[in-house]
Amino acid sequence: MDVNEKVLRLKNVTMTYGVKRVLNGINLEVERGQIIGYIGPNGAGKSTTVKIMLGLIQDYEGQVEIFGTDIASGDSSYKRRIGYVPEQAELYDTLTAMEYLVFTGELYGLERKFVEEKAQKLMEEFELGEVLHSRISSFSKGMKQKVLIISSLLHNPDLLFFDEPLSGLDANSMMIIREMLAQLAAQGKTIFYSSHIMDIVEKISNRIVLIVNGAVVADGSFEELQELSEEGSLSGIFNQLTGFTDHVSRSERIISIVEGGNADG
Amino acid sequence: MGEFRTLAILSKFRGLFAKLGIDYVAMETILRMKLTMDGRRVPTIFNDMRKTKDGNQFLKSLWIYGIYGVMIIPFLFIGDQYMFQMSIVFGIMMFVLTTTMVSDFSSVLLDVRDKTVLQTKPIDGRTLAAAKLIHIMLYMFFITGAFIALPLIVSLFKKGIAFTLIFIIGLAFALLFIVVFTSLLYFFVLKFFDGEKLKDIINYVQILLSVGVIVGYQIVIRSFSFVDLDVTYTFSWWHAFLPPMWFGAPFELLLNQNYATFTILFTLLAILVPLIAIFVYIKLTPSFERNLDKLMSESKNKKRKPHMLDELWVKLICRSKEEKVFFRFTALMMKQERQFKLKVYPAFGFAIIFPFIFIFTELQSRSLADISKGNTFLFIYFGSIMIPTIIHMLRFSANYKGSWIFKAAPLENPNAAYSGTLKAFLAKLYIPVFLLLSIIFIWIFGFRIAPHLVAVLLGAIVQTLLTYKMINAEPFPFMNSFETVQSDGSMKLFLLSLLTGLFVVAHLIANAITGGIYGYIAILLITLLVGWRKVFAMKPKTMH
Repeated sequence: MDVNEKVLRLKNVTMTYGVKRVLNGINLEVERGQIIGYIGPNGAGKSTTVKIMLGLIQDYEGQVEIFGTDIASGDSSYKRRIGYVPEQAELYDTLTAMEYLVFTGELYGLERKFVEEKAQKLMEEFELGEVLHSRISSFSKGMKQKVLIISSLLHNPDLLFFDEPLSGLDANSMMIIREMLAQLAAQGKTIFYSSHIMDIVEKISNRIVLIVNGAVVADGSFEELQELSEEGSLSGIFNQLTGFTDHVSRSERIISIVEGGNADG
Repeated sequence: MGEFRTLAILSKFRGLFAKLGIDYVAMETILRMKLTMDGRRVPTIFNDMRKTKDGNQFLKSLWIYGIYGVMIIPFLFIGDQYMFQMSIVFGIMMFVLTTTMVSDFSSVLLDVRDKTVLQTKPIDGRTLAAAKLIHIMLYMFFITGAFIALPLIVSLFKKGIAFTLIFIIGLAFALLFIVVFTSLLYFFVLKFFDGEKLKDIINYVQILLSVGVIVGYQIVIRSFSFVDLDVTYTFSWWHAFLPPMWFGAPFELLLNQNYATFTILFTLLAILVPLIAIFVYIKLTPSFERNLDKLMSESKNKKRKPHMLDELWVKLICRSKEEKVFFRFTALMMKQERQFKLKVYPAFGFAIIFPFIFIFTELQSRSLADISKGNTFLFIYFGSIMIPTIIHMLRFSANYKGSWIFKAAPLENPNAAYSGTLKAFLAKLYIPVFLLLSIIFIWIFGFRIAPHLVAVLLGAIVQTLLTYKMINAEPFPFMNSFETVQSDGSMKLFLLSLLTGLFVVAHLIANAITGGIYGYIAILLITLLVGWRKVFAMKPKTMH
């Protein structure tokens, strides 16, 4: 594989739900080994972009190429090299963790025995060895999240889409994931990462893409983004670029509502 | 949130609640919230019915209990064998009320959200407990009322005031007995097992209710013709373990002036056991609430061995890799998803029971030896009634949102997915029922029906394929929310179940020709082999 191979390329991608336009012409090129922090306010179109690239949404317009193939061509084999963690912990939770992992591993074409061993080892590393054969429905949010992360890694993918991968995880597990992502990228994997936790995005991404109202408004390293703005932190930059500046006056109004009024009236 | 007449009536007793140390305003607020939520829930007994969105589904479901009540009336007319007839009456009532309580009100008893939402607020424990108990009792009162209204009116005219009064008092104690005992049962299950086990038990009771009501109805209707009006009750010691017997005793004791030891003993049991149970319940409530935590905690971690039989099936009937994966996945989902089981297992139960109900009906007019010579074995086609329902239900799952995985995964032959699913249905649900029925039918009808059974099985598989093709919806199973189950209309399902009739007609035609059955088998076999390959066409293998 060529080092400068374009792992993914989005050309003028638009998407409309009914009358609502959620993506307004996204253009993006990503190279091997990058960790892209994909950020934006709620409803900006982050998850929609990811779902299009995964083939979960088909009726978009524009061109999407992954590993050099247009995903609209109908050949689904590019998916073999992708791992995905969805935003909501959505899985068939009536199954046990092992059953679910074996199932997804087999969907990616892996041998049953191979998945079983790999899943067992990974579950143990994530401190879930004890609940390997328990129904996922009895898991906490963080545990479900770990199962999803494991299921996205079983087939050793080259491109990872992580949509809020840290939600529900404790500080130690977050640290493991952060370190793991850095090492995966160092080995040439590409990671497409979206989150609302700006501190983490700031620290782990070597490129940050900010979208607002379905269009890219900033794209570059953290240092490059800092130059665009007078703010020092990514969350400051985020506030400024999304045009959100009234948080002080808004919280003052909220406090006055909380404290005001007569409870007995 | 609306206003509730029940709450208005309840507020007449505010003084009483205040004396008991209950914060009436807080309790009323909780009850109003609960009743509003209940208005948005569909009772199990309405499982199969079209869902209308507005209004309290519960109140609208009461008429169905009224109909069950009619079932009881004939027993009031049998005569004066109170011990016998009233035990049956109480038996039916207690079955329906207990299963309803378990299936529809477990969520009230076991609501873990109460803990985070209510116990964190400044409301004392006694008020919370009272709200919970009154909430359940309100509903049980309505159900019992609807259930027993007609029988009570009939008994008033037929048996007089004394009988009716004993009936009402007996009912009150029976109701108390049911509510408290169900709670205690949960308590013990939670104490010794984990939450998953309790959820399984509740799930099976829900299924039992759906099957029991329909089958019970069939049996009661058919049994009238051979109920002997002169049965006399003879006491056996083990009757003391049948609670409905206790409640039959007071009638015998007071109306027939039968002062036998057992009538006095049973009457005492009917009064004392519910009272003792309530006392125990109040004592145990705090530790019950503590055990409720188990419902939220992780279940036991035990490795299940891969099912040998499943693996054999996979080897025998699945060709492609995708087929195997979806066979195993579907088998697991069918076994483990409770909501799926609740919707599907009643149909499964009917498939087993209906063929026999019809044979028993035949038995009333002729002998078994006589039946075994004829074509009555075709009743085995009633086993096929589960096909449309279950294939339809395979489209749904409580975890339907997890279906992103099917699209995200690089499947070469997405077509093979449903093929594996249908094979799992046949191997795990249809064929076991079919084999069971076949063994019993061969025992009744002899080996001569063996080729016919082969035709029935092949017909069922062809019907499975046809049904799938006609429902033909999404590329993968378990992709839709159960909320949307009804939107497709049950009319289509009904028409699809008529397909079975076509197979019966074809079978009869084949049977009329000498050796025709073998021709029919051949036709079915060819249709099956060609049809299956056509419906689940594989893409030519692509190279990577």
